Amino acid sequence: MTDTRYDRAPGDASALPDAEQGTSGAIVYTIGLVLAVGLTGLSFWVANTSLLWAGGISLGLTVLAIAQMGVHLVFFLHVTTGPDNTNNVMALAFGVLIVILVVIGSLLIMADLNDSMMPGPELMNLQMQR
Amino acid sequence: MSVAVAVDDGVGHEARPSASEAGPATKRIVVSYGFWIFLLSDIVMFSAFFAAYAVLAQATAGGPSGVQLFHQRSVAIETGCLLASSYSCGLMSLAIGSRRYGITYLDALVTFVLGAAFLVLELREFAGMIAVGAGPQRSAFLSAFFTLVGCHGLHVTAGLVWLVVMMAQVAIKGFRPTVERRLLCFSLFWHALDIVWVWLFTVVYLMGVRS
Amino acid sequence: MSLLGKLDWSAIPFDQPIIMGASGGMILAVVSVLSWVTLKGYVPYLWREWITSVDHKRIGIMYTVLALVMLLRGFSDAILMRTQQAVAAGGSQGYLPPEHFDQIFSAHGTIMIFFMAMPFVIGMMNFVVPLQLGVRDMAFPTLNSVALGLTASGILLTNISLAVGEFSKAGWVAYPPLSGLQFSPGVGVDYYLWALQISGVGTLMTGINFVTTILKTRAPGMSYMRMPVFCWTSLAANLLIVAAFPVLTATFAMLLLDRYLGFHFFTIGGQGNPMMYVNLFWIWGHPEVYILVLPAFGIFSEVVSTFSGKPLFGYRSMVAATMAICVLSFVVWLHHFFTMGASANVNGFFGVMTMVIAVPTGVKVFNWLFTLYGGRIRFTVPILWSIGFMVTFVIGGMTGVLMAVPPADFQLHNSLFLIAHFHNVIIGGTVFGVMAGYNYWFPKAFGFQLDERWGKISFWCWLIGFYIAFMPLYGLGLMGMTRRMQHYDVASWQPWLVVAACGVAVILAGIVSQIIQLVVSIRNREHLKVTADPWDGRTLEWATASPPPAWNFAVLPQVTDVDAFWKKKQRERVQAQPASERKFEPIEVPKNSATGFVTAFFAVITGFALIWHIWWMAGVGAIGIFVTVLAFAFRDEEEIEIPAEQVARFEREHEAEIAV
Repeated sequence: MTDTRYDRAPGDASALPDAEQGTSGAIVYTIGLVLAVGLTGLSFWVANTSLLWAGGISLGLTVLAIAQMGVHLVFFLHVTTGPDNTNNVMALAFGVLIVILVVIGSLLIMADLNDSMMPGPELMNLQMQR
Repeated sequence: MSVAVAVDDGVGHEARPSASEAGPATKRIVVSYGFWIFLLSDIVMFSAFFAAYAVLAQATAGGPSGVQLFHQRSVAIETGCLLASSYSCGLMSLAIGSRRYGITYLDALVTFVLGAAFLVLELREFAGMIAVGAGPQRSAFLSAFFTLVGCHGLHVTAGLVWLVVMMAQVAIKGFRPTVERRLLCFSLFWHALDIVWVWLFTVVYLMGVRS
Repeated sequence: MSLLGKLDWSAIPFDQPIIMGASGGMILAVVSVLSWVTLKGYVPYLWREWITSVDHKRIGIMYTVLALVMLLRGFSDAILMRTQQAVAAGGSQGYLPPEHFDQIFSAHGTIMIFFMAMPFVIGMMNFVVPLQLGVRDMAFPTLNSVALGLTASGILLTNISLAVGEFSKAGWVAYPPLSGLQFSPGVGVDYYLWALQISGVGTLMTGINFVTTILKTRAPGMSYMRMPVFCWTSLAANLLIVAAFPVLTATFAMLLLDRYLGFHFFTIGGQGNPMMYVNLFWIWGHPEVYILVLPAFGIFSEVVSTFSGKPLFGYRSMVAATMAICVLSFVVWLHHFFTMGASANVNGFFGVMTMVIAVPTGVKVFNWLFTLYGGRIRFTVPILWSIGFMVTFVIGGMTGVLMAVPPADFQLHNSLFLIAHFHNVIIGGTVFGVMAGYNYWFPKAFGFQLDERWGKISFWCWLIGFYIAFMPLYGLGLMGMTRRMQHYDVASWQPWLVVAACGVAVILAGIVSQIIQLVVSIRNREHLKVTADPWDGRTLEWATASPPPAWNFAVLPQVTDVDAFWKKKQRERVQAQPASERKFEPIEVPKNSATGFVTAFFAVITGFALIWHIWWMAGVGAIGIFVTVLAFAFRDEEEIEIPAEQVARFEREHEAEIAV
């Protein structure tokens, strides 16, 4: 069998997929759950509170979402930066790059196109009336 | 000329200079890596729907917007259900690793029930919106909303069907290597769905309610 | 609700003689082939050895066969268009009414890109990559078979549209609002969308398969920098498939939702945004052209180094250039719609990025030239295609860089200049590449060579024909002629279009020569027989017998250098043990499976039913696919074992020719 020191299946907790994990594995998942619940609750609070400056809320929510994603990746999917996980992380990074290009690229382009569009009928009428 | 005798043989663990020279990987790694790549492609598909939603978020065509339609309590319960089901799925993975049938079935049942609860709540939300005339045919914003969130819901549905089939496989075939590999793929899928949901509820619901 | 949805006798175009003739011919051809095969008793053999095969070599050959057949279909569309435009000048309407002409150019583009170029390229990769990596098969053999089946389903649906219903008239890109329900209420766009959604799923499966195979299953010792360049370009192309095709799936899904359920993604009402379709489509569309051309670049790297007798110049820079193209191809897509109205800054950014992406391609061209320089070049058919590529593709690339300048593109967008450019790069790049690969690897696949003389004739006809057909189009584009014109008023355009039509006739001679080449080679196969290594190759596929056994390698090769096979040959076979002395172990190979064929069958049923709104039939098809997957999931045996004696016997028989 190929030495699993060098390579780990995505989702596998450690180099040796045997029964050793047992209770220590459950702790990892539990910590992940607690963190995720906390971050989720925080997100809901941030979205509804009036204590924070409104302009920063979107950014705050984004940061919290990224944190929650990180918790899932590390505690549930066991994605680490170890050398046995390189292929998995590279693939993930490639996927994230494409997602960013698609979403941000589309938003920027469509907003730019929108700026070049004529105003809608209501506004046009308004302008004509002036 | 040195010739390797067979594929899956220990071809000298000790002197391997680099991982990329180790020869073909084990089936478990190959299968789960392939599924990992599939998941990434699925996430790219979600991002296209996401981009469409983001572009059309203001295109309400004079109809209702997110602020008027979304109920945060329901979303919070859905989020809790999905997160808890991810946890129970993780416990199920541990049970599979230690070959405990009873715990596996129990955790699978909990995962299924929580996932089904998520779907029921989501369908009720959709039905409620359609009943007040805010269905997907009302505006581009609503088309994009129903498609994005609905696509996620379809994936959850497919996951539940898959879970049932996997439990049937466990019952009939036991914890064979093929079955274990497929269960690993299932858990990857289920956790990825929760990750996508994090983005969905953050951007669609939480940010949508603010605007 | 009718039992057959929208389907009734009016779906068959009895009033259009040309279409009826074409459909009749197509049905006649299919029925004749099927009858001949059945009457000769080949069905059990075909079922056992080909249709249910999950062997990457068989699947690769079947993909190539599909591509060659679709080349004929797509090319006949080209003949129709060129002849129509050659006569439809002044007041003349030609012989193809607009409703038909529009279907022809839409079908031509769809078929050539999705059902000729993609399968051809995928077929080449399927056959060669596992052999070059020194392994026994792809990572997911049954998935491979399913992917082939789904591609065939898309092809079948598209061809059914000729006889039953109509095809899309909205071009191969199908922009809304024209492709929306309001302006295309017929089934044409639905045929287009479902055929491509179904085959798109297959292509995505292929992408996953290759990425996993190349990254996770290589012979021992084959590190990344010892992989053949063809494997690197295949990796890059398949990473692009995995990253880009999901966007196409989503975009088509949105258009389908608009058409079937009245959604408002791209409609004019409901504040839909048709421009978003264009944006999303080309996010897929640009990587797609690199998916088509990167494997061709890989083929040229292999061919040029083999027939120059030299290692490829600048291996590391080739790898770097390939991966650079892979990433850069995702930041240039707006150059397909400079004229849609983005601001100067946005247009400028994408214009610059488009020019930047030409740089790594230039690096590759120089590497090929430096490989040829100083080598002892053997002017075989594959190297002729390669040299033809280098000249033709560079010209096409230059016109592309010209159009990357937004103000220039405002003049040239959607003119015949654009048509000439992309045919220049796709034919010069992808088509010439797969023709080179076809000639290069045919002996490995079948055990005998293709006839050299007819090969050279076909090359020269294709090359000369291409220039005669497409160079006038550059001039016409600059003169202001738009694309997709069924007739035109400017009389001075006509002579150029007549010349272009003559070019098509020369290409036709090239295609006919290739058919003759195949027939002659099959007749003469005893004389054209080859051993394992007819070209004095450098990579591992030449270390197996021709054709290779099901298990490819009796013993996985231990790789120590790039150009693994060449190094082994240098060390000569003195050190090798004769096959009679070596110990062989039984080899497990993946079991045959009908999953691919049955899934494809139900996919066609589902697709056809959805197109014609026959909901019960669509349900039956979907359930059928689900049951097929379940049957596969619950099967007990995944592999069959080839006994050691069988392996040993094969190795002994081919001892003289196999070097490993």
